[in-house]
Amino acid sequence: MNRRILLTSLMMSAILLASCEKLSEKINPAGILMAGTAVEDRVAMSYKYFLSHYDEKVWLVAEGDYTFLVGADSHVTTDPRRMDEMLAIGLKDDDLFYAHLGDIADTKAEYYITLDSLLQAAKYRYVLQNYVLWDEYHYVEKGTEEEEFPTLYTYEEIVYPFFPVVGNHDIMRNGWALWSNIFHSSFYEIDVIVIQDDGNFAFDHLIFLDSASGTLGTTQIRLIEEGVLNGKYDDGTSIYRNTFVFSHTNIFKPQFNEFASTFPREETFYLLDKFEEWNVTCVFCGHVHTWDERNFNGVHYLTLDSMCEANNPNPGDYLVRINVKQDGDVSWSPVHLSTAGPTKK
Amino acid sequence: MRRFLLLLLVLSCAGAFAQPSITYGGERKFDGVHQNEIYGNLIYGGNTVTGRFFGEAASYTRHFTERWSITAGEQAQFLKNVYSFDVMGTYRIPFKRTSLYLDTRIADNIYHQWHVNEVLINASAYWETNYVDLRFGVSFIHFHKNDVKEQYQSYTDASYTELPTLTVGFGVNIRPRNNPWNLGLYIRNFDQYYYENWNINWGLRFHATLPWNDIKIYSEFNIRPAGSMSQLATRYETSLRVGLKYAW
Repeated sequence: MNRRILLTSLMMSAILLASCEKLSEKINPAGILMAGTAVEDRVAMSYKYFLSHYDEKVWLVAEGDYTFLVGADSHVTTDPRRMDEMLAIGLKDDDLFYAHLGDIADTKAEYYITLDSLLQAAKYRYVLQNYVLWDEYHYVEKGTEEEEFPTLYTYEEIVYPFFPVVGNHDIMRNGWALWSNIFHSSFYEIDVIVIQDDGNFAFDHLIFLDSASGTLGTTQIRLIEEGVLNGKYDDGTSIYRNTFVFSHTNIFKPQFNEFASTFPREETFYLLDKFEEWNVTCVFCGHVHTWDERNFNGVHYLTLDSMCEANNPNPGDYLVRINVKQDGDVSWSPVHLSTAGPTKK
Repeated sequence: MRRFLLLLLVLSCAGAFAQPSITYGGERKFDGVHQNEIYGNLIYGGNTVTGRFFGEAASYTRHFTERWSITAGEQAQFLKNVYSFDVMGTYRIPFKRTSLYLDTRIADNIYHQWHVNEVLINASAYWETNYVDLRFGVSFIHFHKNDVKEQYQSYTDASYTELPTLTVGFGVNIRPRNNPWNLGLYIRNFDQYYYENWNINWGLRFHATLPWNDIKIYSEFNIRPAGSMSQLATRYETSLRVGLKYAW
């Protein structure tokens, strides 16, 4: 009898352990025993990419007030209409950039092909709206075509301002290969140069963290501690007026029955402390598919609901638009997505 | 009753004694002779955020009757700079050859380097059979910053009470629980001082009776990944804990 209980228990523990790693992913006991280190590889690759493409570093330029659009957990499969609607809204309302908080597509090659086609089409519309053809190969920004020596861009050089973080669903089934093929880097920063009416400049900071694994990992934390994202002058004062952080994994728990893991305790407190040190204005999170808004010690935290048709079939306010005034004031407003998802049977 | 409350008060105030007893894989019930138990262990490990750390934990249990007991504990993890104090009351319900323990625990965790103080209450049922043990319960966790920014003087602007967190644990030993030595496996979403939501710890545990004075030696090799379920487990913390249990 005892032997039977023991065998049953061992089988139960094996099943439970396997399910922790998502049964369909890594059944390999060694993978469960040692746990993965994929975040280290992703961050190392991303940082190497950042260093080797430093000349191509993106600088966004805003004249006066600007806005940006944030969405989360689109889980694009075969029907990318919500994603398409987000990009169309951003273009129509002239947002400076669009940020996505991860789990952009469910990991299958065909879904990424769909996503890539969607982004290519969106970029084409963006270029048509904001650039004019100068010669056979080059574009210039609209409004500069009358200048004698405007800056010329090839189509490839024009940056479509869509900036995602990587989510846990993006890295399943070797999804990182698909994701990185399109977006290249999961850990990066972008500066926004704000030209104010009086001719002065201000700088805002966008930080994109790789939190897809529920931890930043040793490499990312080491880089953070080395100060790669600090943005401070030698006297310790911040270069930046506003800092916005984008992370897939959420910090706070918006619901009791959430079936999603968050950061371990120490890392939660490390991040809360780091965001305060960076003087962050707002942290945007996804992952948990539930809306949450709160202030914690001077930092604003927005956790976004999923914009995926399958998760939220009814049209709703699944996006947020951040309004940044030229005096630095920041506010946000919900943005409605009208595409309805499949009817639940 | 008065002695019980007095002891609770003294231990709470002294803060002298997290909770090695809640992760111990051996028999917890009162042996009918030794009313006092003390656990002490050392821990060494590596954590993604803090790097290498070492520390200690100790707890004292007083069995008042065959059913009622109270445990008070402390732990300190240096380099990580996490310090904890806790008190736990237990009521045991015998059922055939097994025991069901109803544990209620209050703990204070000081995450010193991040200026956070965390207070938690955990209520859980622990079922101890000959080979298998199960724990199921709920935690109520509140934390606040100790370095509230000047412009945010309000306590509520720098504090957060989490929605209830489920507590689950499962362990299995290769020998009957009262065997002089034992080796087992466990999975659980908590450890001596913290309760996670879905991040699952797992590891190997061992205990054996030493030939002197009924002292037991116990050990745990604990793997604590970040992420679980759809968030694939990623290396976060690994630790080894070795300690002694003495009853008198």
